[in-house]
Amino acid sequence: MNDLDHNGNLGSSLANFTILEIGNQLGDYAALLLAGLGAEVIKIEPRDGAESRRIGPFATASDDIEQSLFFWRYNLNKKSVVLDVDDAAAIPVLTALAATADIVLLSGEFETVERRLPLWRKIAADNPRLIVCTITPFGLDGPYRALKATDLVQMALGGIMAVCGYDPADDGVYDTPPIAPAMWHSYHLGGEYAAVAMMAAINFRELSGEGQFIDVSVHEAVNTCTEVAIPTYIYSGLVLKRQTARHAAPSVTHARLSKSADGVFMLAGLSPFEREMRALGELADQVGIGHVLGTPEFVQLEKEDRVAAAIYRNDLLGEVVESRSADEIFRRAQSVGLAWSPIRRPEDNLDDPHFAARGSFATIEHPELGRSLRYPGTVASDGQSPHFSYTRRAPHLGEHTAEVLTRAGVTATTIASLRKL
Amino acid sequence: MSIGDAKGGRALEGVRIIDLTWLQVGPQATRLLASFGAQVIRIEWRERKAIDFIRYSPPFAPDHARPDGGISQGVSHGHGIRGNFDRGAYFNNTNPGKYGITLNLNHPKGRDLLRRMVRDANAITENFSPGQMDKWNLGYEELRKINPRIIYMQTTGVGKAGVYKDYVSYGPTAQAFSGLTFLSGLPEPRPPAGWGYSYLDHSPGYFGAIMLMAAIRRQRETGAGCYIDMSQSETGLMLSGTSIVEHQITGKPTARYGNRMPFRDWSPHGAYRCDGDDNWIAISIQSDEQWRALIEEMGSPEWARHDQFASAAGRKQHEDALDEMLATFTSACERYDLMNRLQARGIAAGVVQKASDRFDRDPQLKARGYFVELPHSEIGTWPIEGFPAKLSRSPANVGGATGRAAPKLGEDNDFVYGKLVGLSADEMSSLAEEGVI
Repeated sequence: MNDLDHNGNLGSSLANFTILEIGNQLGDYAALLLAGLGAEVIKIEPRDGAESRRIGPFATASDDIEQSLFFWRYNLNKKSVVLDVDDAAAIPVLTALAATADIVLLSGEFETVERRLPLWRKIAADNPRLIVCTITPFGLDGPYRALKATDLVQMALGGIMAVCGYDPADDGVYDTPPIAPAMWHSYHLGGEYAAVAMMAAINFRELSGEGQFIDVSVHEAVNTCTEVAIPTYIYSGLVLKRQTARHAAPSVTHARLSKSADGVFMLAGLSPFEREMRALGELADQVGIGHVLGTPEFVQLEKEDRVAAAIYRNDLLGEVVESRSADEIFRRAQSVGLAWSPIRRPEDNLDDPHFAARGSFATIEHPELGRSLRYPGTVASDGQSPHFSYTRRAPHLGEHTAEVLTRAGVTATTIASLRKL
Repeated sequence: MSIGDAKGGRALEGVRIIDLTWLQVGPQATRLLASFGAQVIRIEWRERKAIDFIRYSPPFAPDHARPDGGISQGVSHGHGIRGNFDRGAYFNNTNPGKYGITLNLNHPKGRDLLRRMVRDANAITENFSPGQMDKWNLGYEELRKINPRIIYMQTTGVGKAGVYKDYVSYGPTAQAFSGLTFLSGLPEPRPPAGWGYSYLDHSPGYFGAIMLMAAIRRQRETGAGCYIDMSQSETGLMLSGTSIVEHQITGKPTARYGNRMPFRDWSPHGAYRCDGDDNWIAISIQSDEQWRALIEEMGSPEWARHDQFASAAGRKQHEDALDEMLATFTSACERYDLMNRLQARGIAAGVVQKASDRFDRDPQLKARGYFVELPHSEIGTWPIEGFPAKLSRSPANVGGATGRAAPKLGEDNDFVYGKLVGLSADEMSSLAEEGVI
């Protein structure tokens, strides 16, 4: 009998899985997700630290590799081992580590990953259960494989930028550039799909006993995530126009941002459904704004001049939003069934009772800081507790070198000699 | 495929998912499972409000045949809602590889049939409004009595447990609520640009697939099922980058920064206008060496050789001026030509590709076979967006177990009720007459 409760959450579903993570920021998120499902992630870093330690913001004024908040956020629960994977002296150690590993995750620029792959092909030949997953900007083949990319460039080539940004000017010409939504979404998408692919490979291994090679392309991952852009083009020849804080569309639609009494932008709109029209009237009544919705005169107007009726409703909506604080409008709108929300800053959620009740943030101790920090920690719960489990801060560089290598059977002498390399 | 015969095998061979989800999040999750070989049985009913809304949302496949291997030109307004159930282009792209059946859950016999199907299913997915499944007596607690191994996943905007469990939301609401809308755009006082689509109708789908596959593996090993209360806004928190952690350290409100890169000393870093109508190129200069290469490519203009731009710190400090002058250069350039020239010099640069660019000319997508041609029983063969990774032994195949794009409404009733559920032809026809299937 297993020790998993039948109600158990998934936070330990990959317990006993070991992942070796080698590479740059393209791999951080994928490994973080599997770590959240209980896998042990061993991050192998060069002596001067993984590249993701150089990405800010930093906790201190200097760019100290131990103070990167990017690294902290994307490396919870992981262990850090310092080892120069490009040095021949590391091969026996990597082989020993791979013998007990389930997955090797190789990320980075094409040249780097391609250079490192032959070793893993050889190792996988001796351990056919091994899953080797690469994440590169464009994938391992194709004419773009060696192009230089950053998050911005991937968001451009992958098509997300073309549908994100601001309304055109009145003459229809865009005077602002397309926008790449901030915070590394090309890495997020590449990481999520890598996690999907690795979960599939894990399932396949259970059926067949065989591992495999996975080649994730960040370019393609971004491409999958543009919603109706591709179907609209393929089936109608139309290209979407980007618009301020609302869906891109074949032609420019009605602007919908309004501001609350305390100066917060609200996402508040109306669908053409009768139910929502009535709800707006209720909301206006609640906040004491006079209106003619529901009167015979307005019903008549709706019949005779739909545009004028829509303008009236939108003006009323703006007045309602302007009349109270964002928080109050949010609660009142939701109570009448309108799917409105303030456009919150991410940190506004830290003290929200809903996320507190769900355990959405993981509280992680940082002994060196003498405090704990809260990190986004899950995407789902089992009704009681979160489905991902994060309990440990990101590792210091090499924090677990001795522990991990000793466990893999590497002698103290060898460990000492590797340190000198 | 027999076990051990791995080549071209399916990762989710033998897995059956009962899929009650609509719109995007749930269907995205089950789309990925279908592409790894799971039998995904999508349930709808024939009444308008019980049919997936995106079945009759534009764009629609045109009346005429698709031009030889190409795209169709001009909007097809379709045939009214009823005539369009099976012509929705976006639905076709979102639901390939699935079986489609009709089942009336408002009918007691319909609910009995669902219970019967749950008995030998691995998972059930739904995104009804809170409480609907319980009203039908089909909630997790009920279904696990029938099948203790069942994995039950519900997707909602804010989650089914918690203070706001009754709040209504869809992708854009969850984006605004979680902080993602705020993060995207030019610095204040400009308003947020947000997202031009429901990002949180997609990413949570990927997460749904990850969790379902983790649960399926565990189910296979231990027999354990589970309940997954999937929240789109929680997914938004996961995707808010470092902002939440940074705020706790600095106490400052999160700021927007457009296309710039405050987290590294990279500059210039942005989208710059090119020749033509709304044409742009993204350029990221990551080192002094690349900056010097860019100067050379520009023909060494006087302004670029100015001392203030020589160092990364200087470029950062004078970023406004730098952007303006760089744009003067780029706006005279053809976008792909410029991209190629910059890339040849080792500079990260890429065209801001529109859908037409990605479909018609992206040589990388073409070479990797990203778009997959799949037949649909009503509208013919169209390109479907593929899976962004190659797996050597159990490749993803968006055509899934059915080998086609999305199902027509009720297309697979005979196969599913006959072959999988085991109803006789007589049983099926009387159930159809009674308005059950």
